[in-house]
Amino acid sequence: MILIFGGAYQGKLEYALEKFSLSEKDVYSCEERSCLDLSFKVINNLENFVMACVKEGLEAKELLDEYGDALEDKIIIVTDISQGIVPMDQNERWWREMTGRTMLYLSRRADRVIRVFCGLGQEIKSQGEY
Amino acid sequence: MNIFISGGCKNGKSYHAQELARDMSREKSLPLYYLATMIPADDEDRARIKRHLSERDGWGFETIEQGRNICYALDGTTSSGEKVSAQGVFLLDSVTALLSNEMFLPDGTVDETAGERLAAELSAFASRTGNTVFVSDYIYSDARVFDAYTENYRKSLALIDRTLAAVCDQVIEVAYGFKYLYK
Repeated sequence: MILIFGGAYQGKLEYALEKFSLSEKDVYSCEERSCLDLSFKVINNLENFVMACVKEGLEAKELLDEYGDALEDKIIIVTDISQGIVPMDQNERWWREMTGRTMLYLSRRADRVIRVFCGLGQEIKSQGEY
Repeated sequence: MNIFISGGCKNGKSYHAQELARDMSREKSLPLYYLATMIPADDEDRARIKRHLSERDGWGFETIEQGRNICYALDGTTSSGEKVSAQGVFLLDSVTALLSNEMFLPDGTVDETAGERLAAELSAFASRTGNTVFVSDYIYSDARVFDAYTENYRKSLALIDRTLAAVCDQVIEVAYGFKYLYK
């Protein structure tokens, strides 16, 4: 599994498509639903999946864990929402925290973790590193 | 060399940018310019500008006041009336302030296309000067959806950042004294 994260509008998806020679047809963009379509190579905007989990009282990483090996060949893209103002809204606060926990879970599982900054990637975990 | 620097606020970006610009001008024996982008609206702004001026005192910067139409600076004069040389070293701090000036106009209207225009202007500025240090702000990790104006501002600044990161020779993220070189 490859995890790609970065702030909003940083060009994460474009980076992934170019780096791994993929196209838009390989991408599943998460809506606010607490299930994923695993027939695509790239799972984009995982934070929307997390928001659905928040609203339904589910823990996102537990749901992802249930998918097991089916996530092994995926490229998962998440918007990093952890570095701004603590939101007033409770759902947004929980969303922020659950997204952080989900990213911790995924970065442990992932073979590679890449952070995208202004369209440029920084590999912060490579295959074989723990 | 064109350099793009970004990172969170109060992280030491400006200080690092000042050092890079000064060193570049010394190495190449070129004039050193500071592009003052803030257009003062009140006494608080004027006090801030005074503080910034004193912080740059002794660094050897010539100030150019240019809050909009940034490329005009290259055909204009400094605050002390000297003609600007496009071959000099420029410090542009910040892209963020420039976008605010271009997007939120004095008559109260909002130019939603300012981001695309400014991205093109700043690319041109980089290629004309060849020695500019651009400073921006990393404002993309909030856990909320903002109102349409704020969201458009964030999206526009991100477009400018990505454009500059692509055209600049060096891209640096500054985080509490830690500097990461992306290229």
